[in-house]
Amino acid sequence: MSGDDRKDQGSGSFLAGVERARSAWDESVLKKAVAKCNLPESPTRHYTPLDWDQSNYLEKVGFPGQYPFTAGNTPVEFWKAHARLAALAGYRPDWGGRGVGRYGGFGAPEDYRDYLIRMHGQNRKGGPNMAFDLATQCGYDPDAPEAAGEVGRVGVSVSSLRDFEIIYEPYRGDQELTQIGSNFTINAPCCVIIAMYCALAEQRGIPPAALRGTPQNDILKEFIARGTYIFPPAESLRLFRDTLGFLRKTMPKLNVCSIGGYHIREAGATPVQDLAYSLSFARAYLAAGLETGLPVDDFAPMFTFNAFGGSMKIYEEIAMQRAARRMYARMLKEDFGAKSARSMLIRQITTVHVGCSSTTLQRPLNNLARAVMGGMAAGMSGGVPAAYPAFDEPLGLGHSLEAQQLQMDATRILLSETGITDVCDPWAGSYFMESLTDEMEAAAAAEMAKIEGMGGAVAAVESGYLSRAVAKSAYEKQKRVEAGEDLVVGVNCYVSPLEMTVEVNRQVEATYDPALMATAEERRIKAMADLKRERNTKAVAKALSDLALTCRDPERNVMPEVLAAVKAYATLQEICDVMREVFGVFAPAKL
Amino acid sequence: MTEQRKIRVLIAKPGLDGHERGARVIAYGLRDAGFEVIYTGLRQTPDQIAAAAVQEDVDVVGLSILSGAHLTLTRKVLDKLAEQNAGDILVLVGGIVPEADIPALSGMGVSGVFTSGTPVSKVAEFIRSTLANKAA
Repeated sequence: MSGDDRKDQGSGSFLAGVERARSAWDESVLKKAVAKCNLPESPTRHYTPLDWDQSNYLEKVGFPGQYPFTAGNTPVEFWKAHARLAALAGYRPDWGGRGVGRYGGFGAPEDYRDYLIRMHGQNRKGGPNMAFDLATQCGYDPDAPEAAGEVGRVGVSVSSLRDFEIIYEPYRGDQELTQIGSNFTINAPCCVIIAMYCALAEQRGIPPAALRGTPQNDILKEFIARGTYIFPPAESLRLFRDTLGFLRKTMPKLNVCSIGGYHIREAGATPVQDLAYSLSFARAYLAAGLETGLPVDDFAPMFTFNAFGGSMKIYEEIAMQRAARRMYARMLKEDFGAKSARSMLIRQITTVHVGCSSTTLQRPLNNLARAVMGGMAAGMSGGVPAAYPAFDEPLGLGHSLEAQQLQMDATRILLSETGITDVCDPWAGSYFMESLTDEMEAAAAAEMAKIEGMGGAVAAVESGYLSRAVAKSAYEKQKRVEAGEDLVVGVNCYVSPLEMTVEVNRQVEATYDPALMATAEERRIKAMADLKRERNTKAVAKALSDLALTCRDPERNVMPEVLAAVKAYATLQEICDVMREVFGVFAPAKL
Repeated sequence: MTEQRKIRVLIAKPGLDGHERGARVIAYGLRDAGFEVIYTGLRQTPDQIAAAAVQEDVDVVGLSILSGAHLTLTRKVLDKLAEQNAGDILVLVGGIVPEADIPALSGMGVSGVFTSGTPVSKVAEFIRSTLANKAA
């Protein structure tokens, strides 16, 4: 089709005809229907060619796997290519073979190690996908007063290289470090954890370049969601720059980061805020990457994302995924001069999901229906049609086996029975979806421009703007729920005594032994004392003073000194304390 | 009850848990409902919370905890308040609290436990009526 043909099709007499017909329909059908229902205005909307100019099709949508990637990262995703085989073979995706295992971690390093050994015995292999306890995430050792009550609770406690040596004991032979991937959900002290993984490989005579994995390393979102920050934003971004430079040079198979829009949404952000803030953070990270002197096509392909989104409004969520792919690709190409297509992709585990904040404690089995809607929308936007989260998410930490089975089966049903993923970007060309995608893009671009106007993501974090904006959105949402504007089944509607709470058996796997949890803190404090007695104190002191010097020079990369300190068995807190001293700590702006 | 002054509420996040959506929504909501609200921000120790409660002369302390550490942290805050002779302050807990733990919290002296899905208006009402009953 030539350019002129395209123009003719979307303009002139055709559009005039649609407009005339639309006005006539307005008068003869719509107004009557609205009046008949006694409504001031229609609760529905119908879209026509007047709402989206399809002559923009190639520029705005294009083809899957091609710039601007609106229609998807690739026409054939890996999971799609082998979905039938996987189904017939009964493949369980919950534990990776050569990849990364399930997210988890608790207690002392030896508790988590024993858990991993037990799992390996059940053929649940794959590298550790580590959850760290809050003390570790906030840069405190188990013997710090701040750590009291938190040690080993929401993840495993890690404070020195010795702890990594213990955790990775089972990873030998066919599960050697070269054969697995490791994920580290860690942000503020990410540089220390990366150094520990590097040092562990060196100890075993394995070149760090052979290691695979993903550190979360997305510190900026911690300031507005999740809250495990330590240092001020600018200094935190310097640490990001340094980890990026180090990883590319020394551990090039590790991803650089996993940027999470999802966390921002859980904290209350709207889809537009989620999109704008995540992309603004990505922009800051990309700019920090350029500061290392590396070309963007060297490091951008190693950026990953952690599932933007999280609401029940699946039309908006689908539009957001499409807008995100397009905006990110444009930003990489136009603002950062990327040439490689891989640099321009938003690589994430799935696309749309309803998020944990859409689940309800009331009649919790209903969360399965909610998760299925998210999975369906994921399937319609280029992602694995993953039903997420498990229905018992709001009941506390630890999903039951029943909830996990239902979640997995729901995903399999969407994938195997519905044909939902047989079409790439099935919404492409929909007047409605295209106009919604454009709206989402324009609104997010305006918000991003506002942030740039404030001096960029770091300045917008420092001033408290982002944090307040998200908190305000969370409050607005709460007010809408309380006023009955936003309906939530079982929470603010359908709550009469006639309704029934459907219960199913909930067997929570005894992975996290309460007896071990109870003694973890005490055992960890003793382990710290042992470590501090046995290590070479002078070597630690020297490494830490070298580190302080390096930290003081913003031009230098801190990683070699962090690595040296880790190898001398300096603790995570000792390293963070040096940085606290030089960088200061973040003090959040007022509510 | 004619109010001499606004009811003063301290919303606090004990421990290192950084999930503050609930705490902030409650803080905004109670403020709009006519309370004087002080929000501590993240990572407060039980000592800091008790000291702030006394210094700000609050009627109510609301603890927001989503990390599963609600039993230990609440116990510590209650102890510290008692040490400061502020045991009469109403203590409420919000967050992810399994139903099975609610009796234990009540037993410690927590006046109300509010889990997810609770309207802020209900919390406000609870505070007003509980304080009114106490005064009566």
